Amino acid sequence: MAHTPKRHRLTIANTRQTIDCAGNETVLYAAIMAGIDFPYACASGNCGTCICHLDAGKVSLLPRGDAALNPEQVQAGQTLACRARPRGDVAVTWLGRGRK
Amino acid sequence: MTAAAKRAKACAKLMDDVHAITAAEGITPSALHAIKLKLVGLAKRADLFPLAEFAMPVSQGRNHPLLVEENDGHGLYLTINMPGKEAAAHDHGIWCVNAAISGRERHEFFRRTDAGDMPGKASVVKVGEVMVEPGNGMAMADHDIHSTVVVGVEPAIGLALYGYALARFPSVVWYHPEFSTTRASPSRRHAA
Repeated sequence: MAHTPKRHRLTIANTRQTIDCAGNETVLYAAIMAGIDFPYACASGNCGTCICHLDAGKVSLLPRGDAALNPEQVQAGQTLACRARPRGDVAVTWLGRGRK
Repeated sequence: MTAAAKRAKACAKLMDDVHAITAAEGITPSALHAIKLKLVGLAKRADLFPLAEFAMPVSQGRNHPLLVEENDGHGLYLTINMPGKEAAAHDHGIWCVNAAISGRERHEFFRRTDAGDMPGKASVVKVGEVMVEPGNGMAMADHDIHSTVVVGVEPAIGLALYGYALARFPSVVWYHPEFSTTRASPSRRHAA
């Protein structure tokens, strides 16, 4: 029987929306598929355009370039929406394109 | 002579060869092929690139400048990318040649199929792929579109030569078939 990834609740503070995000989906993927105008460019962990603050919850990060997210940013609670997969319910605020 | 001194000399020789090739015929497919063969030859000289002299990525991808020309010239880098490190389909607006020292990185090539008349929307179709692994490389022209992913369990360590230094790159245009979208990273041509 195929394993069904667990679904979590993802809140995007900028738009005050809460959507579903499966454990094998990235925050960015779930947001775009939900029609949310989340800022992004490479969507593959290279440019940092989708950088956001992890307001609540935990994520696992897919591989990324050093220039896109440095350890100090991680320490400060920042993450990349295109690389972040939720490990439970999460809330984020995107930091690019001005905070809405 | 230290490895660093030998490396600097070999990189300078490569750049001289590149300029001789492009002076003779410009940036043509055959010129890029000839440059690729030169870069593959340099990448085979493992003694010039001892890993102890290049820090591994803190995350999964890092570039080490080897020779960055002044006056808006070319940039040559040693790249280290860990297994799974990827880049979505993109056009970096300037030609590029890669050659592997160790590890394997798959490059897929795409052609844009839409008319480009809808801002933020695009479609691409895969037209080919190359495995960049020891003894092999790849070359792409100014507006070719490629994606990359490191395959296997070893880091992909290689050489990358770009028409411009990374710090002076044009806008990079990214393509996302899963969303049918395109997005651009800002140009760095005004900076550095």
